[in-house]
Amino acid sequence: MSATTEATKTADAAEVHHDEHHDHHEQGFWRTYIFSTDHKIIGIQYGFTGLAFLFFGFCLIAMMRWSMAYEGAPIPFVGPMLEALLGSGVAPGGVMSAQLYNVFGAMHGTIMVFMGIVPAAFAAFGNYVVPLQIGAVDMSFPRINMASFWSFFIGCVVMTVSFFIPGGAAQAGWTSYSPLATIIPTDGQTYWLIGMILLITSSLLGAVNFLVTIINLRAPGLTWMRLPFFVWAQFITAFLLLLAFPPLEAAGILQLMDRVLETSFFLPTGLVVNGTDVDVSGGGSPLLWQHLFWFLAHPEVYVLVLPGMGIVAEVISNNTRKPIWGYKYLVGAVVVLGFLAFIVWAHHMYMTGMGTVISAFFQTTTLLISIPSVIILTCLFISLWGGSIRFNTPMLFALAWLPMFGIGGLTGLPLGFNFSDVALHDSYYVIAHFHYVVAPGTIFAIFAGVYYWYPKMTGRIMSEFWGRVHFWSSLIFMNLIFMPMFAQGMAGMSRRMSDGGATYSLANPDNADAGGALSDTIMGLNVSISAAAWAMLLAQIPFIINLFWSVKYGKKVESDNPWRATTLEWETPTPPPHGNFTKEIKVYRDPYEYSVPGAKEDFTPQAQPSR
Amino acid sequence: MEIPYTVKPRPDTGLYNAKLGIWLFLASEVMLFGALFSSYVLLRVGAADGTWSMGLMDVIVGAGNTMVLIASSMFVVLAWAQLKQGDLAGYKKWKWATVGCAVLFLMVKWSYEWPSKFKHYDVWFKDTAVLHAHVNEGYGKVAGTEENKAALRDEENKALGLPRLYAEKKIYVGRYFKTDSKKSQSAFTKAWEDGSLALSGHINGYEEAEIKVEIIGWSSDKGVSEADADKALENQGAKSPDDLRKNGGTLLEKTDYDTAKLAEYKLTKAGYSLALSVVGYQYKEAHPYFWRTGRVNEDIGGKPRVLSIDFGLDVNSGDKKEHHPEVKIFTKDIKRLNSYEPKHSTFFGIYYTITGLHAAHVFGGIIVMLYNLLPIGLATWHRDREQFANRIESFGLFWHFVDLVWIFLFPILYIL
Repeated sequence: MSATTEATKTADAAEVHHDEHHDHHEQGFWRTYIFSTDHKIIGIQYGFTGLAFLFFGFCLIAMMRWSMAYEGAPIPFVGPMLEALLGSGVAPGGVMSAQLYNVFGAMHGTIMVFMGIVPAAFAAFGNYVVPLQIGAVDMSFPRINMASFWSFFIGCVVMTVSFFIPGGAAQAGWTSYSPLATIIPTDGQTYWLIGMILLITSSLLGAVNFLVTIINLRAPGLTWMRLPFFVWAQFITAFLLLLAFPPLEAAGILQLMDRVLETSFFLPTGLVVNGTDVDVSGGGSPLLWQHLFWFLAHPEVYVLVLPGMGIVAEVISNNTRKPIWGYKYLVGAVVVLGFLAFIVWAHHMYMTGMGTVISAFFQTTTLLISIPSVIILTCLFISLWGGSIRFNTPMLFALAWLPMFGIGGLTGLPLGFNFSDVALHDSYYVIAHFHYVVAPGTIFAIFAGVYYWYPKMTGRIMSEFWGRVHFWSSLIFMNLIFMPMFAQGMAGMSRRMSDGGATYSLANPDNADAGGALSDTIMGLNVSISAAAWAMLLAQIPFIINLFWSVKYGKKVESDNPWRATTLEWETPTPPPHGNFTKEIKVYRDPYEYSVPGAKEDFTPQAQPSR
Repeated sequence: MEIPYTVKPRPDTGLYNAKLGIWLFLASEVMLFGALFSSYVLLRVGAADGTWSMGLMDVIVGAGNTMVLIASSMFVVLAWAQLKQGDLAGYKKWKWATVGCAVLFLMVKWSYEWPSKFKHYDVWFKDTAVLHAHVNEGYGKVAGTEENKAALRDEENKALGLPRLYAEKKIYVGRYFKTDSKKSQSAFTKAWEDGSLALSGHINGYEEAEIKVEIIGWSSDKGVSEADADKALENQGAKSPDDLRKNGGTLLEKTDYDTAKLAEYKLTKAGYSLALSVVGYQYKEAHPYFWRTGRVNEDIGGKPRVLSIDFGLDVNSGDKKEHHPEVKIFTKDIKRLNSYEPKHSTFFGIYYTITGLHAAHVFGGIIVMLYNLLPIGLATWHRDREQFANRIESFGLFWHFVDLVWIFLFPILYIL
């Protein structure tokens, strides 16, 4: 998706419509491609940045996996670079120190969640596709849209820069629990908090934009129940962002004050660090941070997954040549999911000594929230029945998404129950569970979206061959990475151990019952998992090359609607010009009128009037 | 390319884009302030007895500020109403009135309320005996009036002593409990006996070290040339810099802390090594801001930077006509000293955070109002009156929310 081809087309198309834009004038390079208010450019900006950080976050874990598989050994190729960039304090002789492992661990989580998936799945696809799918000329507030991207970008800069300051980046986990996060003397945590405030601001501005756009800018005839499911998913996601992020912003301000102004919001009385009393007033509550953090972070996981569900629904409907089964149930489920998402957060805190009543409440709501998720998954599965399935690359990713997300969801159940969570909390089981929902879950949906909407953005189709190579290698390696982690977790291996559990295992050699000794098999899995991770990293290279190569050399599309889809984004020229549509858009139908009996074609676009 | 419903409302929702947008934004603001209010509740409920300050806010001033903001909310509606009637001059009048109220609100907070807190201190002592001695000495001066004797029921409590009773019933109870009760009594007794009771008041003056600055030696490690090093010494008042640099000696016989520290900083950068030592103490009459424990204990060559502080104790509002009794507190006895800043306690932390964030919103509102009053914003009025009026309406919604937050804040922080 290089800017050049797309740009020429946009400029050409723009000139054609010169007379229609009262205040349009030739804008220079900077206003057209960098400081643009056009939702499509902003969507692409988010997309590039998001994908780049997904890759960067993956590189971090790839290095960490070396430490887990071969602790104490210098990292090949990359080790000397690490030492040169970050110093011998943290990477002596190219070996990853435990401290560096913690830094990378915290930043891997932060980067993947806030700088990878949210911009790529929500902001990139949302910005590009939603206005097109509802027949709008742009988002409701284009300048706020631009501000949202640049706020996000500055936040990313702050986070990235933090790697290079003395002491390195944040190292108290992506969860930044106090007191640890407060007492770390170097500035990495402070940078993290400032970066988070910028990222949160970006999301809040974006959320308002999405909501107003979807509510107010729908084309005539596009009623709520005629919206493509992708738009519903983005709508609910925007509400989650709007209402769930501010408490974390508040918490971030409080933790920033704890660090900079030496307040004690999250520091208890009598805190002793390294043998000395900390010189603060005390009287604060570490639990308060956890509540405020998880109040956001639970809805955040639905923010990660919902856009993916939307993308998969679009791709499945299109490639089965039939409507999605149970549209009403899907909409109802996603709305209920949005509400329930706000009342389950303390299932991340079962181990904090909560009372039985509160614990029962959160267990109940947690189990309840699995219902809408199952409904959504079931509807999508049933949608396949009787379909005339086209196995192109986006469809392969969408199909794989279904069982992968299913595994992720089902394995969450033992974590939702207090009694089983006792054994599994903070273990590799948890890591496996949530990675199944976000890694083969959300990321496969992002890939599906990229392959699916690429022709609309660029006028060319990505190489089908390399798409399949990308798909099969990603699917296989993804499972080789995360499936064994369930076993490791159930054997008692804890999270966040830089040596892959070696010391932990040695500490309790005979106490297998208490999850002490980790067997050689379990420890051996560290090596296979790491190898799969590196292979997975390599498997992304064909995708990256394909992405850029196809802009110039991919097969050209023969029409504006190469996938023969029904939704409105395919009614635009390819790529869509400034202003998107060249004709008046009115909507006459439901979003997935595929294989309508008696129709001439096997699809009837939403904007096509009734005969 | 015209984005629909920027000005005219969409028929089925009845809203134009900005109005919907501002309501959604306000929803997020409710969550933001809601999180802070919830934090307030959790911290207050979880605070140990005798640690959560109350009654430190000036309720009259706070109520006045509340009225100011309520008036500003009225003015902002009047401004919009004038605009809808096409009266630009009327709009400007009421909008400037709103700005005036907002500025007044901030000035009261930033020039009066907050600074007076930054000058107010709590002191904790290392030794219980020292605490008791200061209480007896200080409050002994005010506790002895007939009025106070009666109020403190001296006869019943003779064993405890009038100064201690004064400290408990007239200062401590109002500060941490609102009313005298078994809880307040047991909390005070505990604090009195284990020495964790703090004395509150103002610093009226202090003895600060007079410092001798000696040059030990010089090296060219810092990359400074000899000539430049001499220049640096000369700037600090040396008569014969060359000699001083080569042989060492006294640069400043006796100077104040700031001069000495500045010299140390500048000369260390120039490659010198210095030794600072305390040669005496000088009394300064001043009401400093933002002092913390480290400031008074700061060690200079084995001696403290501040030897003693003249501390004017707080008295009960009924005794305002008495001047605040003063005690001399030696810093060697001080376990902790802190002004009423965010670091002081979680109460002050959350107080400054919530009111500070609110004040930031007031300030942001002032910026937006100025934009809409100056030619740069008024250009929209001349281009499209309805769009401009909508903009002012959306702002009015925001402003009302800011006012509403304060209306919650005021009783919670000032009265409860």
